Amino acid sequence: MAPASPRFAFVVTFFVLAAATAAAQSRPLVVGSSATYPPFAYETPAKQIVGFDVDVIQAVASKVGITVRLVNTPFTGVFASLDNGDLDLVISGVTISDRRRQSYDFTAPYFEARQLIAVPVASTVRNLQDLAGKKVGVVTGSTADEVASRTFGRTSANIRRFDTTPLIIAELVSGGLDAAIGDNGVIAYRAQEHKGLKTVNDPGFPKEYFGIVVKKGNTALRDRLDSGLKAIVADGTYARIYRTWFKTEPPLPTP
Amino acid sequence: MEPEPILWFGWFRADIIAEYAPLFWQGLRMTIGVTVIGITFGALLGLLVGMARLANARHAPARHLTRFLLRWPATVYVSFFRGTPLFVQIMLMHFAVVPLLMNPADGLIVSGELARTLRQDYGALLSGVLALTLNAGAYISEVFRAGIQSIDRGQVEAARSLGLSYRRTMYHVVLPQAFRRMLPPLGNNAIALLKDSSLVSAVGLSELAYAARTVAGAYSRYWEPYLTIAMMYWILTLALAYAVRRLEHRYGRGDTR
Amino acid sequence: MAAAIRVDALTKQFGTLPVLRGVSCEVQPSEVVCVIGPSGSGKSTLLRCLNGLEEATSGRVTALSVPVHDPATDLDALRAEIGMVFQRFNLFPHRTVLQNLILAPVAVRGLAPAEARERAEALLDKVGVLDKRDAWPNQLSGGQQQRVAIARALAMQPKVMLFDEPTSSLDPEMVGEVLAVMQALADEGMTMVVVTHEMGFARRVADRVLFLDEGLLVEEGAPDELFDCPREARTRRFLSKVL
Ligand SMILES: Nc1ncnc2c1ncn2[C@@H]1O[C@H](COP(=O)(O)OP(=O)(O)OP(=O)(O)O)[C@@H](O)[C@H]1O
Ligand SMILES: [Mg+2]
Repeated sequence: MAPASPRFAFVVTFFVLAAATAAAQSRPLVVGSSATYPPFAYETPAKQIVGFDVDVIQAVASKVGITVRLVNTPFTGVFASLDNGDLDLVISGVTISDRRRQSYDFTAPYFEARQLIAVPVASTVRNLQDLAGKKVGVVTGSTADEVASRTFGRTSANIRRFDTTPLIIAELVSGGLDAAIGDNGVIAYRAQEHKGLKTVNDPGFPKEYFGIVVKKGNTALRDRLDSGLKAIVADGTYARIYRTWFKTEPPLPTP
Repeated sequence: MEPEPILWFGWFRADIIAEYAPLFWQGLRMTIGVTVIGITFGALLGLLVGMARLANARHAPARHLTRFLLRWPATVYVSFFRGTPLFVQIMLMHFAVVPLLMNPADGLIVSGELARTLRQDYGALLSGVLALTLNAGAYISEVFRAGIQSIDRGQVEAARSLGLSYRRTMYHVVLPQAFRRMLPPLGNNAIALLKDSSLVSAVGLSELAYAARTVAGAYSRYWEPYLTIAMMYWILTLALAYAVRRLEHRYGRGDTR
Repeated sequence: MAAAIRVDALTKQFGTLPVLRGVSCEVQPSEVVCVIGPSGSGKSTLLRCLNGLEEATSGRVTALSVPVHDPATDLDALRAEIGMVFQRFNLFPHRTVLQNLILAPVAVRGLAPAEARERAEALLDKVGVLDKRDAWPNQLSGGQQQRVAIARALAMQPKVMLFDEPTSSLDPEMVGEVLAVMQALADEGMTMVVVTHEMGFARRVADRVLFLDEGLLVEEGAPDELFDCPREARTRRFLSKVL
């Protein structure tokens, strides 16, 4: 149980935050997203950021009456930018994990994700274990990086880390990797762009959920976003967005 | 299972660095290796290109040949590699040029399983070293050119009037004197190369910056990994600067200027 | 006997600036020829055309029976036979005195280092700077440097020596020691072309004096003739200024 003084601090913080949120009402909230991650978020040739994440946050925002401004932020920098206040929230295919929960607050899940393996069509790989001793590409700091680090060892030379999913796919295509691991939405989308690649679904991967991230303690904003998410699920907006980007019916998000 | 956090000075998570120590040590070795190779081959390349840019011939056919086959290509090369960001050169090299030449499917020079093995085991090293060497060569060629041009014409005339050929004059008279003057700028180039080698982590080469990115990606903590490699880079640049000063001292004899 | 050097209607232009405008002359073996004339008259340029340091615009130069400006000529081989001494010494500052003398004989003539060294020491002794053999050039006085430079040229055992104002950048008290070395060389029968402002030396040592003005060979003759009763007005005007 928390001692008295932190609780007092918490209460004060709460009021300060509530006041700040009220004062910031007119200011658009800055939303960070790494726009190299189709179909979740990517840039059109006209420099517009579009994608599933973008549609979701905009639908949520209009439901709860806030305005948002999207900023394209490299994935490796989103958390730091959230910490130092450059960003108010992040929607960028971020997997909710216990480790991240220690440092940030998440909304309820808005997407059910799973890791997916991409390999050359000729590959005999059937699951994650088959990749032992092979060169595996992941995006630095991603869930796939965590999984690979856990499975093959954090400092293993067989894990090759790159900045973005397109780079690991490019490396896979040019023969530098035996496999690439990433979130199912993105990997499937990228793999179908290349004839020589196929995807391998390992049912052993745990289900994961994407959530919207706010700074630790910004519960006011988080609660608001949660109510918005509930509302767009209830009125069918969410299902419509999901169909637009994934061409299938959504599994119901579990709060 | 989480390891027990070890805190230094109340905020520095030393356990994170310890956990990834092999990556940092390997990174240190790789950074040093890449820098040494880049400087060595960059200096050789820079010497050749610097001389190509100064090449000239007395009589008609050779005169045009030197211009079209030596001076112009050398000038274009130097201009491109000094005029574009190193990061762009590295990405171009690794994801465009090298795959074109070396690719399991249809590499122009190497293809099939050999290409795959090479790319998997040495791909990032190869393109990283290539890009760094070409970049350093461009800068160093300018150092050589300036160094050679700074040598009094009288030196060349004295040597030539003794019957020394152009090559011998360069080798015995001009380059040794130019080298001494080039040492400080060469040292600066070496230090720049050491620091710029951090950009190669973008193609997955496991050097110091790669270790820091990996840790930052896993823990979303930036102080510990980046401060660690900052200290390592700092020590390396200090050592390099010291070595250059020693060389200058050693080769400084007899120069009046 | 063939002339050591023969110059036929030599012209030289730098861009549009005519520097030599048709010079013809000869130097016989063992002859000492001094070239005098006002500053900018083309003396250095003429001298540098003799060993091909400078291209000719037109005309012919033949040195030791070799056409200097013929593209087929091996200039390096020719230059090995023609020593040159410069106004500003041009010693190699990164090499000791001895190393300055040894470089060319070893690199060009293929002499064994020990032999080159022996020969170098004998030459340094002859020009009076043997005690400086291990010094660096910047540790020597101007007069010593120029004597080393002469020894360096002699180390190649040249058949002809060219001097371009060898004493002009020396302090007055050092001029004598250099001229003495040159005089000794002349007495041994070395073929020499000397561009100089030292009229006393020219009178004493030269077999013939050439007077150059504005790129033209105005007058030539034995020193006594040319200095005592010059035929041309321009020569008289020049001599009245310098004597
Ligand atoms: N490389 C060059 N490029 C252009 N002009 C030159 C070059 N060398 C010499 N000149 C010019 O040619 C002219 C003759 O020069 P030269 O050195 O032959 O004269 P000089 O008789 O030796 O004079 P001084 O007694 O001053 O040494 C001068 O006007 C000089 O400026
Ligand atoms: Mg002159």
